[in-house]
Amino acid sequence: MGLSSGDGAQLCVFDLRRGQQEGQELDKILFFHPADCPILLQLSVIGLCEGIITFSRIFSPDDDCEVIESENHSHVFYQAEADIWMVLVVEKNKDSELTWRCGALQGILKEVHSLFTMFYGPIRTLLDRQPSAELARGHLRTFVTDYLSDFSAGKKLQLPTFRDCLKERGTVQMLTISREVALEIQSLTTVLGSCLGNVMCQSLVLFGDLLVSTTLPPDDTLNLYTYAVLRLTPHALSSYANSWSYLRKGTSVHSVPTSSSSNGTASVERPLQREKLYKGKDGFVTADFATSEIRGAVPSAPILWFRQAEDRMHLCVYQHKNITILLLTPASSLINGDEGITHVKRHLLEHASQNIVTVEQKLSRGWGGENAYHVGGYRYLLVDPDRKVSRASPPGKVTTLSKDSLLSLNRQREEIDLEKSRAGRSDSCHDKDFEICIRAKNNSWVIAKVTRGRELYMALEKGGETLLYASTAVEKFSNRYCEGAFSTD
Amino acid sequence: MLQLPRAPRPIHLRLMVCTPPTPRALRLAFQQTPPPNALAECSRVLKKSGQMKLLHREKEPASVFEGNRKNVLLSGKMQGGLGSVGTLSHAYVQHPPLRCDIPDIRGIFYDDANKFLIAPTADRILYWKITPSTPAGPPNSDPINDGPVLSVRYSLDQKAIGIQRSNHEVEFRNRETGETCNKKWRVDSETLLGFFWTDCPTYDVIFVKTSGLDLLAYEPQSNALRLVDSKKFNVSWYLYTHESRLIVLASGMQCTLFTGYQWGCQIAKVEMTVSKSEANSKPVLAADDVHIVTVYGRIYCLQLDRVSMTLNMYRFYRDAVVHQGTLPTYSSRIAVSAVDNIIMVHQIDAKVVILYDIFMDSYAPISAPLPLLVRRLPSNNRQATQSSDNQSSAYGGTLYGEGWNFLNPDLVCDVENGLLWKLHLDLEAIAASTSDAPSVLEFLQRRKSDLSMVKTLSLAIVRTVILERRPITMVAKAMDVVLDSYSRLMKMGSDLPGVRRTSEQNLQSGVQPVVNPDSSSGDGNRPVQSNSGVEHGIANHTANVDRTLLNTSSDSDDITNASGGANQEMSGLQASDVAERKPLVVGKDSRPLASGTSMQHGTHVANVAVSPSEMFESVFVLVEDEMMGDPAYLVSIIMEFLRSVSKAGLKAPPNLYVMTTTLLAHSNRYPEIMLFVSNKILEPSKELAMQLMELGRQNSPTRKLGVDMLRERGLHQDYVSALLQDGYYLEALRYARKYKVITVPPALFLEEAVATNSAKNLAAVLSFFTEFVPTFKTTSDYARYRHILSEMI
Repeated sequence: MGLSSGDGAQLCVFDLRRGQQEGQELDKILFFHPADCPILLQLSVIGLCEGIITFSRIFSPDDDCEVIESENHSHVFYQAEADIWMVLVVEKNKDSELTWRCGALQGILKEVHSLFTMFYGPIRTLLDRQPSAELARGHLRTFVTDYLSDFSAGKKLQLPTFRDCLKERGTVQMLTISREVALEIQSLTTVLGSCLGNVMCQSLVLFGDLLVSTTLPPDDTLNLYTYAVLRLTPHALSSYANSWSYLRKGTSVHSVPTSSSSNGTASVERPLQREKLYKGKDGFVTADFATSEIRGAVPSAPILWFRQAEDRMHLCVYQHKNITILLLTPASSLINGDEGITHVKRHLLEHASQNIVTVEQKLSRGWGGENAYHVGGYRYLLVDPDRKVSRASPPGKVTTLSKDSLLSLNRQREEIDLEKSRAGRSDSCHDKDFEICIRAKNNSWVIAKVTRGRELYMALEKGGETLLYASTAVEKFSNRYCEGAFSTD
Repeated sequence: MLQLPRAPRPIHLRLMVCTPPTPRALRLAFQQTPPPNALAECSRVLKKSGQMKLLHREKEPASVFEGNRKNVLLSGKMQGGLGSVGTLSHAYVQHPPLRCDIPDIRGIFYDDANKFLIAPTADRILYWKITPSTPAGPPNSDPINDGPVLSVRYSLDQKAIGIQRSNHEVEFRNRETGETCNKKWRVDSETLLGFFWTDCPTYDVIFVKTSGLDLLAYEPQSNALRLVDSKKFNVSWYLYTHESRLIVLASGMQCTLFTGYQWGCQIAKVEMTVSKSEANSKPVLAADDVHIVTVYGRIYCLQLDRVSMTLNMYRFYRDAVVHQGTLPTYSSRIAVSAVDNIIMVHQIDAKVVILYDIFMDSYAPISAPLPLLVRRLPSNNRQATQSSDNQSSAYGGTLYGEGWNFLNPDLVCDVENGLLWKLHLDLEAIAASTSDAPSVLEFLQRRKSDLSMVKTLSLAIVRTVILERRPITMVAKAMDVVLDSYSRLMKMGSDLPGVRRTSEQNLQSGVQPVVNPDSSSGDGNRPVQSNSGVEHGIANHTANVDRTLLNTSSDSDDITNASGGANQEMSGLQASDVAERKPLVVGKDSRPLASGTSMQHGTHVANVAVSPSEMFESVFVLVEDEMMGDPAYLVSIIMEFLRSVSKAGLKAPPNLYVMTTTLLAHSNRYPEIMLFVSNKILEPSKELAMQLMELGRQNSPTRKLGVDMLRERGLHQDYVSALLQDGYYLEALRYARKYKVITVPPALFLEEAVATNSAKNLAAVLSFFTEFVPTFKTTSDYARYRHILSEMI
């Protein structure tokens, strides 16, 4: 394909409804990373993708093409919206370090798209509103670039590899709390919900990088949670401060023609731009957009679009020590924009401060540290796709696994992904149970178990010799930590 | 025996009955004896000092009843009290009173130790037992010798009568033998001020003379008195209440030097000076101006300062007397009663009463100054209210008339007309007069009388604040109060011994332990009035709580601690008195009481306090329909309720969780159901699991939650049925085998297998049953499905 080696990965977004006339192919492209890639190369990548999409539709009209494996590259496809495709092209290498899992890469595409939609609404809507696509391109350029800056290592994109196989993108990590604390938090949620008087406000509460409570449906919770963990939690805010100069260099963001005021979609400029986010003295995390904008035209709180809520929402972020609170107020009930937000903020400070402090204290007291969810002897990942929740061994513990175990696990997950999508096609209303136990080269047990929709992956390196040992270990784990969800019936 | 004369009396109706609003009520009240501008004065002062806690009486009841008549009616009784009676009052006396207007009686006396109302005639003593309720029947009587009677007091075991014949002579009469013995003093040197019986182990009678105290032992066998001790002291006048066992001796030129004795046997080393009213004049303090009240087991002394029109309040500790504060007065004459630990300050000239609840350090009145009311028995309340004029016509005297004597702690005797009233609090009126629900609930939970009313009112108040959609924090506080008092009672019930031990440690004071041999026999009387026994329990506990509060707040020992257990003798007779007695007993010899009350305790708790499940049934169930329009509010309230419940260490009823999920599902908040189930806010139960599965028809993850809950709870059969319903028949079969669930018929599994049209699975299920159920081959199911299988192949 002529990709220059060492370039790492490419990510493109294109719209198949555009540029169908010969000579107008360029119009299809909505985004391409890296931006300095020659136009011809961009066109050839997209041309190939389009060809394969069209071709595979002949055989499989209902299901999208997911991946093309060529000798040197993998093309991972994701149809984000009807006829709007996102493709991630990754280079293959003899080096086994660069072993990916297709599902994990697709997860990146899904994530960036759903985050984008949360801030700007569907791409199609942007295109419909402004057929020249200038607006969509502008937003995509800044947003996706900002997003990818997290993956950039030097000039390359460092995408998740098999070493991340005990992580699940697109899920929420929850903090386990006692009932008493849960009730305390619920009472805080009640106070937060009443910030606007009659209209209920939604809220998310995070402790560190873990979700504590939410009033939103799983999809929206996931998006906001992802955003918070990427940019808003104390950890995210401080990691920028540490690597500030480095990131500055790494992300070459072109100055964007600000088009917000021209078309009336007053929304936040670059929600993923780290440099602009900071925690103010009043405890609110705000974006500093004051530079050249006329104040008032741009509300300082981002407006969010939600899939399941009809209304658009203003986001207001408050932080106290380890607690991050994401408060969402329906945009329609805030009549005078900034003033309304100020009111909400004041209400929060006046009525919820005390609750927040108590909740923070209780959570900090009960928090077991970063290895809180470590289970000795096990390296595991638990996923509940219904709730979009996962829990995994702490990363520090996962790194102790040998490469062989991780590679086997990665492989196994790929199998399970396939199996799941197959089962989903044949009978979508019934969960199918799977169980795979592999004895890896290094004699570790690698186990995957799917029961009633819930998934458990684990690697046991110091396991015994027999399969019986492995299944007893799973049974024990299931009974102690999963309320028997994975126990063999 | 004697018959009560029932001759019709002339009717002098001078009762103040008025309709709202308040000012008019007060105006009417003052029309009788007009103290110029007293009313304006009192409302002005109250307003200025910001002390009025309870306001807007005329507004509140309306809001209680409007809108939600269906659910919120407090009760028939309450309705009568709140809705239809147009009169304003927070305290009342109940009609009919005890009539003691027997001809040719020579005065009326009250023996507060025995709670006897005593009326001597020429040759007899007539007496009524006033506890627990005012009796209706004719009085008892005892023959006595002829002669003047200055005062009469029965001994605490009621075996002897002491009759003061003159300022120097007291006659003691053994009731069994009729023998008498006279105790005389020299006429010239000293005057007898009074005498009373005591339950001190070493003395039985205390004489108060101008020269000091004489402490004597009475021997009933020989009917003789033996002087044990005497204390020299100049006494101008004295005050004594049996309830507090406190003798206050006034001395000095102005009678402002007070000395307190308690038990006679121990001097409470107390000297207090009462503030002087004016610089030059030297007014003499009269006994009428000083009152002893016992509330919450603490002893207070209230002293009227006529010049500044204030009531100075002192609290008696064993080692000190501490000035607590001043209360305003609007009358030159006042009287003080204590009803259910509430201090009633009667402003006699103004004919109004002001109520104080001195529990915390707040001396604000809990009500506006309002008149006293005459009220019929609650049973025929409704008719009574219409004819309340006739009512009061039955009463021939004037409220706060000249003849009114206030008897300790809560009685009023109209000497002119020979009537005895008992003072009552109108709890519902007090409750209805304030909008601050948490503090009203606290107030109600501290009350010991009329417990069913307290409960009804408490529930009604919680219901009302929810229906009125008051701020959640306020509702939460209100529920906290109710549940706190419940959990406190539960705790007290379960580990009383612990309480006793701690209080014993607190009480290592120099009081001699007292074991009265008669105590058990005295206790024997108690079962007759089990109600009062129940009251003892509650008094006991709160008194304990009080005291622990006190002991931490003040270094001084509470004087009541010193009282020991000496007074068991009279226990059977005094319901309200026992309330004050309790803390003492706990500190000391509590055996008889412990045995007496421990049995009753369970029922007592059940009767009085509001348990979480009662809250559920009488509050949440009743408001649910009304709140369907705003389920979010009710859910928030329930969350706060759960928080209170868990904070108090109690359990919420499973049905509340069912209700919560229903409410959440109603507003499509399924994700939150999921969150609440996963963090156990909604505690797992079969009921909840079933409800989740039911709601899961609209939302499959919710159904899964329910099914999982069945498994986690080990409800094997239900779990298997649920799996079958969802079509997971192989999983169900596996589970059934593991947990040996044999109650689900094989046909259900087989039918599911047939439904999936898989010969392989059907064969598997068939072979499973043939293998594991020995008799399966003989059933018709076997043949039937065998046939189906053969056709499938």
